[in-house]
Amino acid sequence: MAKEKYEESSSDEEVDSSSDEEVDSSSDEVEASPDEVESSSDEVEASSDDVESSEDESLSDNEKVEESDSSEDEVAPRNTVGDIPLVEWHKDEEHIGYDIKGRKIKKQPRKDKLASFIEGADDPKNWRKIYDEYNDEEIELTKDEIKIIQRVISGRTPHAEVNPYEDYVDWFEYEDKGHPLSNAPEPKRRFIPSKWEQKRVANLVRKIRAGLIKVSDQQKEEEHTAYLLWTDDTDSVENKKRGGYVPAPKPKLPGHEEGYNPPVEYIPTAQEINSYELMFEEDRPKFIPRRYLNYRSVPAYDKGVKESFDRCLDQYLCPRTRKKRINIDPESLKPKLPSRKDLRPYPTTCYLEYRGHMGPVNCISVDPSGQWLASASTDGTARVWEIETGRCLKIWEVGEVARQICWNPSPDRPILAVVLEYDVLLLNSGMADIDIQTKMKELLHISEPGATEDAGDSKSAVTWIQHEKHDGIRMKHFKAVSSIEWHFKGDYFTTVVPSGDSKAILVHQLSKKHSDKPFRKLPGIPVTAVFHPSKKKFFVATKKFVQVYDLSKAKRIQKLETGVREISSISIHPGGENLIVGSKEGKMCWFDLELSTRPYKTLKTHSKDITRVTFHRTYPLFASASDDCTAYVFHSTVYSDLNQNPLIVPLEILHGHKPEHGRGVLDCKYHPRQPWLFTAGADSTIKLYCH
Amino acid sequence: MRAGPREKRKDKKKILVCRGHTAHTELRPDRSLSLFRSYLHLPQSATMPPKHYRPPGKKKEGNAAKYITRTKATRHLQVSLNTFRNLCILKGIYPRVPKKKFEGNHKTYYGIKDMTYLAHEPLLDTFRQIRAHEKKIKKAKARKNKEREERLCNRMPTYKLDRLILERYPTFVDALRDLDDCLTMVHLFASLPAVEGERIQVKRIHNCRRLSHEWQAYISRTHSLRKTFISVKGIYYQAEVQGQKITWLTPHALQQVLTDDVDFNIMLTFLEFYETLLKFVNFKLYHSINVKYPPILDPRLEALAAELYALFRYVATGSARRPAESKFVASIEEKKDSNEKMDTAESQSDLRLAQLQHQLPSNEPGALMQLLEDSNNADDEVDQDTIECKTLFKNLKFFLSREVPREALLFIIPAFGGVVSWEGEGAPFEETDEDIAYQIVDRPTQGHKFLSRHYVQPQWVFDCVNSRIIIPADEYMVGMVPPPHLSPFVDNEAEGYVPEYAEAIKQLQAAAKKNVMPLPDLDDQDLTDPQNLLAEGVMDRTHANEAAEERRKLQLLEKQYHDELKMEMSGITYSATLSNKKPDNTGSDEMQHKDEVMVPVSTEKDDEDDRAKLYMSRKKRGLYEAIEISNQRKKDKVALLKERKRKAAASKSG
Repeated sequence: MAKEKYEESSSDEEVDSSSDEEVDSSSDEVEASPDEVESSSDEVEASSDDVESSEDESLSDNEKVEESDSSEDEVAPRNTVGDIPLVEWHKDEEHIGYDIKGRKIKKQPRKDKLASFIEGADDPKNWRKIYDEYNDEEIELTKDEIKIIQRVISGRTPHAEVNPYEDYVDWFEYEDKGHPLSNAPEPKRRFIPSKWEQKRVANLVRKIRAGLIKVSDQQKEEEHTAYLLWTDDTDSVENKKRGGYVPAPKPKLPGHEEGYNPPVEYIPTAQEINSYELMFEEDRPKFIPRRYLNYRSVPAYDKGVKESFDRCLDQYLCPRTRKKRINIDPESLKPKLPSRKDLRPYPTTCYLEYRGHMGPVNCISVDPSGQWLASASTDGTARVWEIETGRCLKIWEVGEVARQICWNPSPDRPILAVVLEYDVLLLNSGMADIDIQTKMKELLHISEPGATEDAGDSKSAVTWIQHEKHDGIRMKHFKAVSSIEWHFKGDYFTTVVPSGDSKAILVHQLSKKHSDKPFRKLPGIPVTAVFHPSKKKFFVATKKFVQVYDLSKAKRIQKLETGVREISSISIHPGGENLIVGSKEGKMCWFDLELSTRPYKTLKTHSKDITRVTFHRTYPLFASASDDCTAYVFHSTVYSDLNQNPLIVPLEILHGHKPEHGRGVLDCKYHPRQPWLFTAGADSTIKLYCH
Repeated sequence: MRAGPREKRKDKKKILVCRGHTAHTELRPDRSLSLFRSYLHLPQSATMPPKHYRPPGKKKEGNAAKYITRTKATRHLQVSLNTFRNLCILKGIYPRVPKKKFEGNHKTYYGIKDMTYLAHEPLLDTFRQIRAHEKKIKKAKARKNKEREERLCNRMPTYKLDRLILERYPTFVDALRDLDDCLTMVHLFASLPAVEGERIQVKRIHNCRRLSHEWQAYISRTHSLRKTFISVKGIYYQAEVQGQKITWLTPHALQQVLTDDVDFNIMLTFLEFYETLLKFVNFKLYHSINVKYPPILDPRLEALAAELYALFRYVATGSARRPAESKFVASIEEKKDSNEKMDTAESQSDLRLAQLQHQLPSNEPGALMQLLEDSNNADDEVDQDTIECKTLFKNLKFFLSREVPREALLFIIPAFGGVVSWEGEGAPFEETDEDIAYQIVDRPTQGHKFLSRHYVQPQWVFDCVNSRIIIPADEYMVGMVPPPHLSPFVDNEAEGYVPEYAEAIKQLQAAAKKNVMPLPDLDDQDLTDPQNLLAEGVMDRTHANEAAEERRKLQLLEKQYHDELKMEMSGITYSATLSNKKPDNTGSDEMQHKDEVMVPVSTEKDDEDDRAKLYMSRKKRGLYEAIEISNQRKKDKVALLKERKRKAAASKSG
């Protein structure tokens, strides 16, 4: 700028304009150089050498510009004393300072004020002159400079040609950016190669050369190479498969029906194909055989890919288990039973039928001598039959449904106990000689009705009344009676009233005509109650358990857990140590009282309710009767040796009864001395099975 | 072997359904809560511990220690479900059924040991790398950085499966045993359309084609094909390699249907493993017959899509030079140090042979026959079955018409010793060749016929192969409806029903063996013994048994009659015999017979059944009943077949 001034001071307008142009061009140059820098910086990434050279160029450009500036500066100031208070310090001196070579610059001789005033008044340009104290000279300002000063004073830019709102030109441009992230100059590290990259490249080169890293072409080549994977030493122990691996089962091999041309008999008829539609989708055959008359007419199988896919799914989604395929003769599963021939005699065939009842025969009972059979039926009669002939000897019209009948086990008391709805009738059977007959009449006579009634309760459980019609005793219970059982000596008997709560089980004494309720509380609703055949024990069956009481100690001894849903009947082995329980779900449990309170053996025999189970008095036999119209005969040997378990062998299944209203055989009883079985059916017949 | 199909299906459904899973529950007690509680002096029982509480220090026990659910397993391995699936497929890991499904019934359980086995698998890491790599590619793609994307695509981490194969099949026989699915899958993919832009890469389909041809070439060359069957689904083949029966299915050579309800990712993962497996198996098999693998094929034949034939030629030449080479090997073995030299020599000779092969006039049948004969003489130690197979079509020339499925027959006929040619370029001999014995055609009528040859339908070849005899071609002539095609995989005797044509074939076989037809009127003694009949080969087992049964019944009745006569003579009453009757069958044989005759057999038998059943345990009774039911079902099926047969015969005659 100083140079400009310098030149301007001694030049006219034209020069000015030319100098202006010069300035413009130089500024153009300056402007252009960053462009160059930018373009070269683009190239930086490509090659650093390039960058350097271009950088040099740009730098040299800059230097030229600066040189010209500095040369101008050097000419201009002649005084070199610097910024000192000249007026004060050099007031009395001859010089005002020193030039660059150290020579003193003399003070100009002072013009006197008048001369200078005249000179000023003459000179029209005087107002433009300024005295420069520092250099001790007068400077004449040019027009432009005046203009500049005026512009500065008025607060505008010094040069009129300067456009303060010029468009912004970005001198550094990224390739993909809208604006520069930072205005900072390029750092050096962008222009020199990285040491670490160089090291990494060297490392990679080394690895590629060593073959540790494969270039893609090499890899592809290696993919195809197969080699001998299984050599002889792969069979060694260490290479064995891990345990528990189950190979996938092979797919099923095709049968004749899958052929393209199967035999005629493998092709289902149209009717059969239609019937498949009615099946459940899962049961429907997946594949329907078809016949093609020649090979060329076989179409592509449309489910081929799908089936292959399903097989894939099976292989990785299905759990695999090793299943033992049993290829055995089913007969070998059957247990080895002792031959039936050795276990004779036992009832096998129906020998006699006792007909006469008009309704289902609910109960039968054989007299202890084995001559007579008593039966109770729904038709309201109780009958006595002669066993060997099948003749009906006596009929009692009781007027109600006779539920149960029971002979007195004592031979010198031929008394029958018949259970009706609420009553129990004690009848003189009349099947004895005259002495006993008279005794019985005495026994079954109540002099004072109601005298033996137990007075303890407000509402008596049982009332003993003389029955006029049949010449016996009528015991009136307060609720329905379900079963009756005699004590083996024939004096006591027990009746069960299931809904009787504390009076559910009653024990009666015939000779005293007395009733007693032994239990204050029962653990459930009783089903039946039985006396032990020889000891003072008493068995009460509730729905799921059998309670065993000691009568002498008046205390419970055992509680047998049957595991069945509902007990229907129980029977005690004549030995007294074993017990069978029949249930309404057709199961039969054998208990060994010495062994455990759980069943020794449970047999699922019948498909319907078991109505009665019974032991034979003398033979090792027992039987069960059921509503499915069958009766099963079993052999059962109980050994005196405690270590040996009882032997139970199913012997015979007796058919013969017909179902009536869903009921089959209602009762079964053994003959006391012969291996004969009586069964009473809902079809109102009684049958005798003999060996 | 595993659960029945329906049960299995259900199970799978369950698994497929339960993809979206429930929240992960941890059985450990909440530590912070308990601390907090102790700090506040709250009683521990303020909140009840979870039902299956396990104290912190205690190890898991029972099923929980042995099994893990799938969700937990994937979390444990830190992989996605897809990666987990691929790993399971490649490693051959399948779900297990714990005795107690401790996490619920609807979940899939894997063995803990299997999962630790997976956790140590290097493939797991490779899959992670691949996943990371895929992310990079995705990123590059999103930034439209094509260059980087391309570069990354080329440098995808790869893995090899050979180690896995050796792990899964430690011995070669193990691999052969499991080859059924592999072959079926590879053959299926070989028949899929090799179209660019489909879901399957063309490269892989070509690879499958190559592998399947290599396998077929080996089977054909060693004559180890045993059974073939044209079914609706495709053609079944059964071969016997090293004592293992390998069955596979090839689809019919028609356009395959690609359905949308198939997840090809799963199939391709399987295929990936199978391709590698078959490659190594083929290598081992080719190695065993001294042929170099992979084979170098005649490019001309390859271009004509007759790769199989090209392979045959390659294999035949490869093994033909075996004797000479073995000598060479023997001499070499004396100086053991020069092993490497031999290898190079071998490869060089291979190359030379391949070159020579190209120069051979391929149309000249004589040269081919020579080669085949050479190869036939080569091996001596083979079993009877192979010899039988090898000589079935020996010295017979076949010609395939244009419409006949070429690949199947080109595979089967040489496998049984025949020489085959086809209509088209590159065929070894022309249709006009006078020596052709059988021309296989599948068209309604044949225009020009050579009198010297039979024109048969393709089924004839399959039936001949299955029965191992040359069946008279009368019934298989052009334009006729061929006799029923029977499956060779069915044991007719075990099924209890023998189709009519099977019997006819049996008679032909017997005739071929003895060269005489058995006389229909044999004497009585022979008829009673089923073994005799079987030996004659006239009757099959079921029929023989039936006949013997009838015979025995007759004898029994006769005996009873005699016994009764005797008793009458001696004056024993009928009732007495009745009381003497012995109701059990375990007595002496004579008594048993008498019993059976006296009492109506059925009731007695039923009674005995029921009696024994009573005493069986519940488990055994169930088993017994199940066996009875299945037997009954089988009988019903046979009865249905017989009924249909009867009706068909009636409708035909009436």
